[in-house]
Amino acid sequence: MPKAFDAANPPFDRLSAAEIAELRSVLDIGYFRPGEAIIEAGHSAEVLYVVIKGAVEEHDAGDIEAVLGPKEVFDSRALVHGTAGSRFVAAEETLCYLIPKELTLDLIKRNPSFAAFFYSDISRKLDAMAKAEEADGVESVMRSRIGDANVRAAIFVDAIASIERVAHTMRDRDANAVFVRGGDGRIGLVTGTDLWRSTILERKPLDAPIGSIARYNLISSSEDEFVFEALIQMTKHNIRRVAVKRGGELVGMMEDVDLLGLFAGNSQLIPGRIDRARTTDDLAAPARDIQAQVERLHKQGVKVEDIAEITSDLNRRLIAKLFDLVAPESIREFGALMIMGSEGRGEQTVRTDQDNGLLLSVPVGEDTINHFRAEFSGALQRFGFPPCPGNVMVSNPIWSCTIDTFEAQLKRWVYDPDPESSINLGIFFDAIGVAGRSDLVPRAKMRMIELMRGEAVLIANFAKAIDQFPGTGGVLATVMATVGREEIIDIKKSGTFPIVHGVRSLAIDKGLMAPSTVDRIHALAKLGQFGEEFERELISSFRFFMSLRVRSQLRAARLGTTEGESLIRASELSNLDRDLLRESLKMVKRFRELVRNHFKLTMF
Amino acid sequence: MNIIRKVRRLIDRMSLRDRQFDFLFDENTTGEVVSVDCETTGFDPWVDDVISIAAIKIRGNKILTSDTFEAVIKPDAKMTAESIKVHQLRSVDVEAGRPMDEVLPEFLRFLGPRPILGYWIDFDCRMLSKYLINTLGIALPNQQVEVSKIYYDRKYGHAAQNTQIDLRFAKIIEDLGLRELSQHDAFNDALTVAEMYVILKDMEKRGVYLKRQREISEPSNAVV
Repeated sequence: MPKAFDAANPPFDRLSAAEIAELRSVLDIGYFRPGEAIIEAGHSAEVLYVVIKGAVEEHDAGDIEAVLGPKEVFDSRALVHGTAGSRFVAAEETLCYLIPKELTLDLIKRNPSFAAFFYSDISRKLDAMAKAEEADGVESVMRSRIGDANVRAAIFVDAIASIERVAHTMRDRDANAVFVRGGDGRIGLVTGTDLWRSTILERKPLDAPIGSIARYNLISSSEDEFVFEALIQMTKHNIRRVAVKRGGELVGMMEDVDLLGLFAGNSQLIPGRIDRARTTDDLAAPARDIQAQVERLHKQGVKVEDIAEITSDLNRRLIAKLFDLVAPESIREFGALMIMGSEGRGEQTVRTDQDNGLLLSVPVGEDTINHFRAEFSGALQRFGFPPCPGNVMVSNPIWSCTIDTFEAQLKRWVYDPDPESSINLGIFFDAIGVAGRSDLVPRAKMRMIELMRGEAVLIANFAKAIDQFPGTGGVLATVMATVGREEIIDIKKSGTFPIVHGVRSLAIDKGLMAPSTVDRIHALAKLGQFGEEFERELISSFRFFMSLRVRSQLRAARLGTTEGESLIRASELSNLDRDLLRESLKMVKRFRELVRNHFKLTMF
Repeated sequence: MNIIRKVRRLIDRMSLRDRQFDFLFDENTTGEVVSVDCETTGFDPWVDDVISIAAIKIRGNKILTSDTFEAVIKPDAKMTAESIKVHQLRSVDVEAGRPMDEVLPEFLRFLGPRPILGYWIDFDCRMLSKYLINTLGIALPNQQVEVSKIYYDRKYGHAAQNTQIDLRFAKIIEDLGLRELSQHDAFNDALTVAEMYVILKDMEKRGVYLKRQREISEPSNAVV
């Protein structure tokens, strides 16, 4: 029995020790010469293959879909569903473990998490993976340092200050507890609860010194201790706060709600801070936190669509608040602030750029609008929103003008296009109003749909951009064939963009107002553009690409660059991820074909 | 089969003390070979003992790891410190083993008339024959297949006279791109040899040779 069979290799890592022993006892090893077909397309397989050494190419109708290397498993379809979708050919001298079909099917029946690997659809595979990752999230939070958590800054009051004054301080500083510095050097703690207890229940006068009600048995943790150690302190002493020390010095306080916030990425605290902002500078900290929590949420294994939703929601609040703070009365009354592109679709997680604009129902003074343009775009840039390389920003008069001017512009983009027009139309079609008048953005979008409705050639030209990144036929095949080797894949070009833009083109054609890609896919399926299975798989592929993108973006962000932010190295992916990537890329291929047929792009 | 070997076989068959092992001389109709590796207490067949045997059948291009033979043997000779270091088998492990006269018949039944494959297989055969002669009166009669010989042919078959030859086990692993299993474990070694065999046999069929690094510097490179 080959002890060398790697039980840690997914999906076999989900098997129990007894199941692994069982599997090892029935394994054989097969040798395949270069060029030998291991499984023919359309045939079934009697064994599941795990590559030991060598390389296996997956051919589909002449294209090489993928190259499988050591530890990769094939072909679940031939084994479980009876027919191989592709032809598997040894590319070099290849050795594979051969796992009998009977045992594999038996294990699938007995072990649901092992079975997940064999699901034919991407969506179910992803769900099964997500479940496995959930537990890790809690674990990673507990292992972070107290200093990395959102520790509240220490607030000190003098022991001789009156209870009433301390109550005011606490309200003004938005604090639930403060440290009390006694004349003798002792430091104590007073909480909101202590205040009402002493004054209401014990009828202490409001001018009594705070020192008389402070508690001096301070429990503290050091900044570089683990979060779980703070949690243990709280549980042990039945308290809700732990003082945080840095080298013996009190620097802050950690509350149980902060711990809760860590798990939830403290997104629930950010809206309050946005709402309370009184100046644009007050918004800088929450703007930073929105970005910081993307990484935290990702580490905790939160699904990418949920991260995108939380982040978009917070970004919109932030931008709306900024508008309120910066825009003068006239612009607030007659203007509508819109966000566009990935922000409009609600699909941005790590900030890549800002796409925003302003529509006005009536002209406002030249000075007023110029001042607003500079203030607004400048503030966002200070908050860490990189400027839009295409200059799609409030600061650009093309994107901040009256609705009449804008509609005339739309007409020009449609009927008298220049190279930028198609890009501009695409960006605007994803627009959504976030502040000010709510009627202007939908009106302009309706106008765009009317202009383009029935203009088959026009929309077809627009849709053609799905092929703008080399990705048709053979070229796509080479991208896919590199999966599994030391090669790099551009997630945006070969994954997200073709889906986003194809869906957008179909949405324009059907006059759909929904801005998010997933909502559009749902709506298109309802209109019968594709079946339910296609709908589900397209959404799952899209989300999978988004999750890969977040990963590469966070890595780029850690390196302090946007260079290569959408590149993924195949060798950095786990086998399961590579498997999903292959399936998702196949889905993109199917979708491109659907779009091409829909718009008869081959005719142009 | 040449005439001398035929006669030798005939004599062996007649000297076989126990007729129930007649099958060792049958014609091999299975088409299979068996990869065998023994771990021993040392390298002197006269003094040292076999402490474990592993054997794996190979049928065509398939290594039948689902049908294998593995046994640990309790030796007569005291284990030397040296062999403990090599095999990481301590006396206590081997104590759990079974006596050779119990293991050997089982092994021979597993082997049958199949050719016996290995790396430096002559040594393994001599070690095993030591026991066979005592009990059956003959040496192991099975045809021997030496994996390093097949490797030699694939790599140095065409080589010039003064080519440096490297037949180390690790070198073959490297040349064939095999994974390195922990060595000096009878099963792993037998498995690695089996993997070498199926690949090299196929190369032989296809008439493919392994690449050699240029061992001799070519003076033609020195053109100025």
